[in-house]
Amino acid sequence: MSTQVTPVVSPDRHRDERPPSGRGFGSLGGRRSLTGWIFLLPAALLILVMNFWPMFQAFILSLQTGRGAQLSFAEPLWFNYERLLADQTFWMTLRTTLLYLVIQVPIMLAVALVLANILNNPRLRFKGMWRTAIFLPCAVSLVSYALVFRTMFATDGLVNDVLTGINLIDAPINWLGQTHTAQFVIIIGLLWRWTGYNMVFYLAGLQNIDHSTVEAAKVDGANAAKTFWYVTLPQLKPMILLTAIMSTNGTIQLFDESYNLTAGGPAYTSMSVSHYLYEVSFVQNPNFGYAAAISYVILVIVALLAAIQLKVGDKRD
Amino acid sequence: MRKKMTLASVAGVATITLALAACGGGDGSTGGDGGGGGEGDGSLTVWAWDPAFNVYAMNEAATIYQQDNPDVTVEVIETPWEDIQTKLTTLAQTGELEELPDIFLMQNNAFQKNLINYPELFTDITDSGIDFAEFPESVVAFSTTEGANYGVPFDNGAAVTALRTDVLAEAGYTIEDFTDITWDEFIANGEDILAQTGKPLLSGVAGESDLITMILQSTGGSLFDADGNPTISDNDALLQAIDVYTRLVESGLFVEVNSWDEYIGTFVNSNVAGTINGIWILGSIQTAEDQTGLWNITNLPSLEGVGEATNYSANGGSSWVVSSNADAELAEDFLGATFAGSTEFYDTILPSSGAIANWIPASESEVYAEPHPFFADQPVFQLAVEFGAQVPSVNTGAYYYEGRDAVSAAITNILNGADPADALAEAQATVEFAMQ
Repeated sequence: MSTQVTPVVSPDRHRDERPPSGRGFGSLGGRRSLTGWIFLLPAALLILVMNFWPMFQAFILSLQTGRGAQLSFAEPLWFNYERLLADQTFWMTLRTTLLYLVIQVPIMLAVALVLANILNNPRLRFKGMWRTAIFLPCAVSLVSYALVFRTMFATDGLVNDVLTGINLIDAPINWLGQTHTAQFVIIIGLLWRWTGYNMVFYLAGLQNIDHSTVEAAKVDGANAAKTFWYVTLPQLKPMILLTAIMSTNGTIQLFDESYNLTAGGPAYTSMSVSHYLYEVSFVQNPNFGYAAAISYVILVIVALLAAIQLKVGDKRD
Repeated sequence: MRKKMTLASVAGVATITLALAACGGGDGSTGGDGGGGGEGDGSLTVWAWDPAFNVYAMNEAATIYQQDNPDVTVEVIETPWEDIQTKLTTLAQTGELEELPDIFLMQNNAFQKNLINYPELFTDITDSGIDFAEFPESVVAFSTTEGANYGVPFDNGAAVTALRTDVLAEAGYTIEDFTDITWDEFIANGEDILAQTGKPLLSGVAGESDLITMILQSTGGSLFDADGNPTISDNDALLQAIDVYTRLVESGLFVEVNSWDEYIGTFVNSNVAGTINGIWILGSIQTAEDQTGLWNITNLPSLEGVGEATNYSANGGSSWVVSSNADAELAEDFLGATFAGSTEFYDTILPSSGAIANWIPASESEVYAEPHPFFADQPVFQLAVEFGAQVPSVNTGAYYYEGRDAVSAAITNILNGADPADALAEAQATVEFAMQ
C-alpha cells in the first residue's frame, strides 16, 4: 500500500468554469487552453517517458525467455503466461493476496469512516491530538513498522508476554510460524498502518459537506444513525470510491509487509504476489521475462477491480 | 498575455530538459554510489558488506599491499549482500557493466547462479598466477565452472558444533562425548542433557534448511547432481537428514524460532546450550562476554549408513570476484599478493575479526595455533581450518536458492504432518518447474 496520492478535493466543483468561448486556438479562450496544455506537457511527457514507456518494455519483456541477459522471444510468444497457469506458488501467493484484500480493505475503510465521523464531531475535545495520534502511523516507514511488528509478535515478544500476563493463553503462540496467525499479523499491521491515512480523506470529505443538510435532517427528526446513513454517507461517496480504489490497488501490490514482517513464511503461505515477483527476479535464478508476466497479471487484476468499483460506485453520469 | 506566453515557453523548455535528464545518465559517468572500476589509474573499487569482517579485511589487505605498491589506492564501498545481488542483476540485465567495481564479494551459495546467468560480470582468473590448489577443493568448486576459476575464496564456512561445556558437565558429559559421533548418539546424549538440565542443545530459524543442507553435505550429497539436475525426491541421504531434523524438533532438542536475531538470542541468553553452524557463528557467540571460557567447538555428528558419512560440512562463506570492468592485472596481482599469498595479512585480520582463512598455508602460522580464551583455550582457528580441508565438495548449481526454498517449504509441511516422500516429490516438482 505504498501509493501516496495527494487528495484532490471534489474536482467536479470546478466543472462550470470552462473557458467561456471558442475552441480554436486563435480566440482568447483557445489561447488560454493552449497555455493550459503547455503547462500539462511537462508532467505528461515525464509520465510518458518514465511510466508508460517502461510499461511497454515490460510487456515486451514478458514475451521473452532465456538465461541471464540473453533473452529472445519465447516460443510460443505467450509461454510465460502459460507457465503462470501451472505455477502452484504463484496461485498460492495470489490467493493469499486476495485474502488480504477481501478481509483488510473493508474493515479498514469502515473503521476509517467511523473514526472520521467521531473526529468530525464539533463537540469533541482535544481534536488535534486525536487526529495526530490516528494519522501518525502513516508517518512511519513501512520497513521499520514491519520490523517492530515482527519483534512484537515473536514467540518471546511483547504480545505473547501481555497475553500470558493476563492469563489469556497458557503457552506463547508462534504467531509468525503458522500460516493463519502469520496472515493475521500482516492484516493487523496493514490496519494499523493505513486506517489513519484513509480517515484523513474522509475527514476532508466530511468538511466539504454542507452542514445545513445535516441540520435539515435533524429538524426532520432523523436520529444520528439515520443522518449518517442517508445524508452524510451519500455525500461521501466519491471519497469512498477513491479510497476503495487506492486501497485495492495498494493491497494487490503489497510487498513491504510480506518481505519484512513474515518474510513470506511459513512455506510461502503469507507471501504476496509482488513479493513472489521479487523472489523470481532477484533471489532465485533470475527470470525477468516471467517476472514481467507476473507484473502484467497484477496490472490486469488492479485494472479490472478498479473498473468494477467505478462501475458500481460512480453514478454521476 | 505576453507574460503568459513567456511562462508557457518556460514550461516547454523545462519539459525538454527534464526529459533529456531522464534519458541521460548513461554517459559514462562513474557516479559516487559505487561502480567506477577499470580506470587503470592504480585505484581499486571494492564492494563488500560487513564492516567488522570482510570490509575490514579488505582494508587491511590494502594496507599490506601498499607497503610494496604505495601508489595503489583501494576504496571499499560497504554494500549489503542483498544489494550487491540486486545491483549485479540490474547491471547485467541492462548491460551497464561499466558501473561495476573492480572487485566484489559474493556469497558462495550464489556464485554458480550468477556465473551461469551472467558470465559477462566476471573475469576468468585461471591464469592469473593464483594457486588454487592452496584452497580446499570444496570451496574452490563454488567459483569454478568448466575448469575455469572465477573467484578467490575468502572466509571459511567450515561447519562446527559449538557447545556450552558447563551445561555438558552438569549432566556428566564432556566435549569428547560429542566428537566424531553419529546423529543417533547426538540425540541420545542431547535427550539425557535436556532431561537433566532442562537445556536443549540446538536452535535455528523455522523454515530454513541450513542444518539439513549441512547434514546433506557431510555425506557428500546435495540437492543437485553434478549436472545441476535436482535430486530432491528419492534422495536417501536427504530423507534421513530430514528424519534427524524432525527427531531433533520433536524431542525438544532443537528450538525453532522465527528470525535470525531470535536465533542468536537463544544461545547468547543461555536458553540453549549450543549451536551448529559455519565457523563464522563464533563471532556471534562471543558477544556473550559473561560466557567466556564456557564454550568448546568440535566437528559435526555424522549421518551413519549413507554415502561418505563424514563429520565435516560447511555453511556459507564467500569469495572475491574480479569484475569484467576491472583493471584486471592490478586486481589479480592485489588478490594474489594478499588473500592468496600473505600469511602476514591473515595473521593481522584473524585475532580482531575472526576471519578464518580458506588459504591453507595461512593455517600453518602460529597465530592460528594460539589458544582462544573464550573457547576455554581451544585453538579454534586451527580446528576450523582442519575441518574445512575435509569437507566433501558438492555442486550447488544455478538453482540453489530454488532448491533450498522448496526443501524449506517441504520441511515445514513435514513437521505439520505431511508424508516426507510426498513433500519431497512436490519440492522436486517445484524446482523442476522453476528450471523449465
